[in-house]
Amino acid sequence: MTGLTALKNAYLPESMRLIRRYPLIEGVHFFQVRAVDMTRALSLDYLPGQFMMVSIPGIGEAPFSISSTPSRPGLLEFGIRRVGRVTNAIFQLKENQIIGVRGPYGNGFPVEKIKGNDLIIVMGGLGAIPLRSLLLYALDNRDQFGNIYLLHGAKTPSEMLFREEFLNFRYRDDLTCLLTVDQDDTGKWPCYTGLVTRLFQQLTDIIPQKTYVAVCGPPVMYKFVVAELLKLNIPKHQILMTLERRMKCGVGKCGHCIIGGYIYTCVDGPIFTYWDVIHMKGLI
Amino acid sequence: MRAVKLRKQDLPAFLKCVQSFGELWGPVREKDRQVLKKTDDVNQIDLTTIRTSLPFKKLLFPPRFSMFHFSGNKYTTSLEHLPNRIIFGLHPCDIHALLIMDDFFTRSFDDPYYTERRKKTAIIGFSCIPDEKCFCHATKTDTVEEGFDLFLTDLDDFFLIWVGSSLGDDMTRECPKIIDEGILPEDLKKYVEWRKYRNSQFKMDIDLTSMPEIFDLSYDSVIWEEEGEKCLSCGACTIVCPTCPCYHVYDKIEMGKIEGERMRQWDSCLFKEYSMVAEGHNFRESRAERLKLRFTHKLQAFVGEYGKPACVGCGRCIETCPVDIDIATIVRRLRGEEVKV
Amino acid sequence: MLENQKKDVGLYGFTGCNGDQLTIIHSEDKLLDFWQSVHIKSFSLAKSDNDDSDLDIALVEGSISNQEQAEHMKEIRKRSKKLIAIGNCACYGGVQAMELGSKGWDQRFRKVYGDAFFELRTPIESKPIDVFVDVDFYIPGCPINADQFFYCFAHLIQDHVPTIPDHPVCAECRWRENDCLLLKGILCLGPLTASGCNAVCPSHNLPCLGCWGPVEEANVSSEFNLLKEKGLTQEEIKRRFRMHNGSGIIKPLKKILGVL
Repeated sequence: MTGLTALKNAYLPESMRLIRRYPLIEGVHFFQVRAVDMTRALSLDYLPGQFMMVSIPGIGEAPFSISSTPSRPGLLEFGIRRVGRVTNAIFQLKENQIIGVRGPYGNGFPVEKIKGNDLIIVMGGLGAIPLRSLLLYALDNRDQFGNIYLLHGAKTPSEMLFREEFLNFRYRDDLTCLLTVDQDDTGKWPCYTGLVTRLFQQLTDIIPQKTYVAVCGPPVMYKFVVAELLKLNIPKHQILMTLERRMKCGVGKCGHCIIGGYIYTCVDGPIFTYWDVIHMKGLI
Repeated sequence: MRAVKLRKQDLPAFLKCVQSFGELWGPVREKDRQVLKKTDDVNQIDLTTIRTSLPFKKLLFPPRFSMFHFSGNKYTTSLEHLPNRIIFGLHPCDIHALLIMDDFFTRSFDDPYYTERRKKTAIIGFSCIPDEKCFCHATKTDTVEEGFDLFLTDLDDFFLIWVGSSLGDDMTRECPKIIDEGILPEDLKKYVEWRKYRNSQFKMDIDLTSMPEIFDLSYDSVIWEEEGEKCLSCGACTIVCPTCPCYHVYDKIEMGKIEGERMRQWDSCLFKEYSMVAEGHNFRESRAERLKLRFTHKLQAFVGEYGKPACVGCGRCIETCPVDIDIATIVRRLRGEEVKV
Repeated sequence: MLENQKKDVGLYGFTGCNGDQLTIIHSEDKLLDFWQSVHIKSFSLAKSDNDDSDLDIALVEGSISNQEQAEHMKEIRKRSKKLIAIGNCACYGGVQAMELGSKGWDQRFRKVYGDAFFELRTPIESKPIDVFVDVDFYIPGCPINADQFFYCFAHLIQDHVPTIPDHPVCAECRWRENDCLLLKGILCLGPLTASGCNAVCPSHNLPCLGCWGPVEEANVSSEFNLLKEKGLTQEEIKRRFRMHNGSGIIKPLKKILGVL
């Protein structure tokens, strides 16, 4: 038997400390964690769009998109919604507790390809979590990107993730920040109201061939956003989408996230292009 | 490749001899089936075995095992005490499946639970004459050039032994008295005749050409719905399949403690829970969709990636499925051939 | 586990053979941990100083077959935060509920008991406990499998919801490399029945009787057709389907056969 050498056991979680947590919106909390080992904490590299597996002993593991940017090493940030067994247990955690985390996994956004081009980021609902990573990454490496547009839609102001952070982005002159809510129940919302697709009217000087778009949001959003993007003549392979599947192992072995018979979402995704979606049946 | 000879009556002595390299596992008859079992009595090995009920995978990634122990947030795993094993009697189809699994468990990420067991496993392959369920000629897995340490071809009064690895070479040198180095021209002739005879014995006719295109064009075929109506969702076909590696993970804790094991257990894409995501949404709600995934994976997706199907023609699914949903029936139906529904 | 973190647990048995409670009692290697990890407030099969205090977890075996049991069941539910049904009788009604839903219970009852007057109890058709109260978790089996029970119990007392895979018996049966009885034309309910027993019957060459109750994805009509093809009669198949599946089989059977 040749060619197989023992590597580090990828299934063993690393110890990380929960540094800080606070609610973002109702039912979604923000978690900052850091590897207990400082050297590891500072050297842990990843790509926007990648995810980590968070482990609760006795309950199990679940995948979570990284919301922080690798351009700010040390802390890993997650936005986590309480939906099931593992997230219920994560919501019981207190600051300073130790948790098990492994990763990063997944292909991540092709940032090297995006560099030098314009970038439109379209987020809806929880889609803000992975796309915040890409947004902050692009802003932290501002000179390597062309125009950057942020289009963010939420149902109401109180349901907008990272609301204060993004509201402040309106004052940056190196970013076009377009925020919208379906309904303004406060009467004080300073930005747009209406669906996120209406924000596309604001995009007037797009050069399709040198524009990448990253989309993440509820399933119903994709169809309408893609229609707008095709109207703008954005090439299908430059429309990037993140897709959710039940990733259990993160390393392309357990099979649960398989799509169309050959795509392991956890290794080949979770970032796909719109061309992949058309080309590979069963992707969405 | 080095080849040597072994007289038929010396096989028990030879197997006894190679046991110095590890536990000997081979096909042993149990009731109506043959089962891969550890055996000290080499005479128990059933050389007439066509297919063992479970393939070798049960030894390289067992149906259920503990991946690691946890105590609070301390995780410990122990892979050091795995035994050395020799698996005797794998036919070419299973050796091809083994090569697929070797690749699968090492690509992108190394799976130590598989690779550590694999490193300690030696393979002694064994030739066979196909029965009515074998179709390895169609999957092009009827001969092997790699994936074994030794491979025995049964040529009536002696075995021709192909030596496929350094360990295999050591095995033949462990018992020099019974190993015959001299291959004669008539031995070659015998081998060629045996191949001719073996090739003439395939009874199943199944055409696997153009499968990727056929699958692409059959995505919305009514066949999936019809077969889905029949499918019992029992998972048996995936369990016996030598190239099905999917698994499920769960934590098992001890009463009153935050201490326990993270368990890995065979799973099946035919089980409903398999494709469930958070909040109960299921990407493959119907049996038809799940069946389609299984066959697409085996016969289309794999071909796209490796140029060959992930089916090795062992016939286990044909033997196992109570309602006759197997590679042969699905392929025939997709090709528009007459199959009793 | 700290004394004040331990859960208050009670075990109760209604109509059934007590086999589930006995399975627990017979697990000698687990008993010390079992008794140490919780406060057992009531377990009349195992101890005498039982009380009716409020509980974190009530484990209930047996079906409900008289009015008084139904009242008692409701009373237990009221003082329990979590209610766990253990065993086939509590989960599906057991063999005493095999004719559940097929009307004519009065007639059958009179055939056996005539006009006998029941002074202490008011008999009713035997039903699983979830007909009367909400059940938080089901641990099926006839009797329960000790490993599966203690696995679930360990999680439940830490407020975790255990996962019981939705595999049929066939999965475990293939793992054990048994001969497939269905292929031999024997009326085996493996594909319809939830696993957890480690395929104990087929491993002894006996067909699965379905005592774990139906698996969620049971394809009842396909199994029905298959058994008919193998030469079994509709009556034989129906009887076997109903034997242990009580409330669990009514809907799918109705779907295939129309009326029962």
